[in-house]
Amino acid sequence: MGIKVAQVADGTVDVGAKLAAQLGDPAVVVYFASPKHDPESLAAEIARFFPAAATFGCTTAGELVSGAMTKGAIVAMGFDKDVVSRAVVSIVDGIRNSTDGIDRTFSEWARRLGQPMLELDPERWVGLVLVDGLSGAEERVMERIGDLTNVVFIGGSAGDDVAFKQTFVAAGSRAASNAAVLALLECPNGFDVLKTQSFHATRQFLVPSKVDKAAREIIEFNGKPAAIAYSEALGVKPDELADQFMAHPLGLMVGGEPFVRSPQQIVGQSVRFYCGVDEGMKLAVLDSTDIVEDTTAALKKALDRNPGTKGLLSFNCILRTLELEAKGQTDAYGKVFASVPTAGFSTYGEEYIGHINQTATMLLFR
Amino acid sequence: MAGQIKVMIDQIIENRSKGNALLVSTTQTKLILKGFDPAKYDASSPDDPAVIARLRQVAADLNVTL
Repeated sequence: MGIKVAQVADGTVDVGAKLAAQLGDPAVVVYFASPKHDPESLAAEIARFFPAAATFGCTTAGELVSGAMTKGAIVAMGFDKDVVSRAVVSIVDGIRNSTDGIDRTFSEWARRLGQPMLELDPERWVGLVLVDGLSGAEERVMERIGDLTNVVFIGGSAGDDVAFKQTFVAAGSRAASNAAVLALLECPNGFDVLKTQSFHATRQFLVPSKVDKAAREIIEFNGKPAAIAYSEALGVKPDELADQFMAHPLGLMVGGEPFVRSPQQIVGQSVRFYCGVDEGMKLAVLDSTDIVEDTTAALKKALDRNPGTKGLLSFNCILRTLELEAKGQTDAYGKVFASVPTAGFSTYGEEYIGHINQTATMLLFR
Repeated sequence: MAGQIKVMIDQIIENRSKGNALLVSTTQTKLILKGFDPAKYDASSPDDPAVIARLRQVAADLNVTL
């Protein structure tokens, strides 16, 4: 009973059988798989080996399992009914062009559950969302979900080992791109959400005064070309700005915590980000702090708040993973999760109420 | 005239949260992500017609009747 974690390494054959041997007969299986494993055949195989379970997952840019970060692997978490008593899972297709599929999915779920999505108890139900990480649609997906329900949805954007060619999400026997997987879980013992990022806000702010929202580009900050204003705020020359992106992204401050907006590249004198920003949104310039130290402290606090946590799902930004790799801290980061059954992956973006970057979002199950 | 934007924001938060503190917080966050920081508006904030029109659309999206 409870939660079990499974892992199969790169090159493993009979993946479904090996996962089934580790997970037993759970009610729900969530998995995160390196794109080295063909997403469509993997989805079909996992569905075949867990015929009574709701199965869903996505491709990754690296995985996380209790005590270790991995590459090329498949990690999975199986939930028994005492932890997740009911689950509904759907793939929403065509998210690049429209979020209408979310409305249709929620209407169908309301019929199946016999309760409107707006009336579900947000302390008993939680949502998981896995999005095609190259769709550029996460902001609209999260906004529409938030419009239609008070249930909190948390998750991440699928990866493809930093190839940036194609990512997949999967539910049941089907895998798809240009799609999102939505899952609604009833947790009779409750759950908790942890959002942690390793930055503190400086006293410097930048306000986008001209944006190309569809392209996730800021053209001007404070009426000046964005790259110029950003470099001035950091006290560096414009040609040094890109080198500062990892350590000094911007943050939309909510209750004293940043919702991080990470710059991706300079385009002319504009700055393209990994998530969308609106004109007039006051953004704090952020300073980086230590990921391992901060995550250790944040997780300890969350586990103290939730004694007897049975397991957690983690959605860790690929930019954090790249920083951990550059600093030789991946082993140390994996060990942060040694004491609690964990499955997770390195994402192309994190979801929690909205779309965020350079963050780890986690869902703890009691 | 002033203060209408704060009234509208308060109505949206009240309608969606029904007084539940968790939902007050998440609804405030949703509004901030949509570009409406509740802390930026008070009873003396001018009734900017463009902001009010955008906020009416946000309320409709959130299934809140103002």
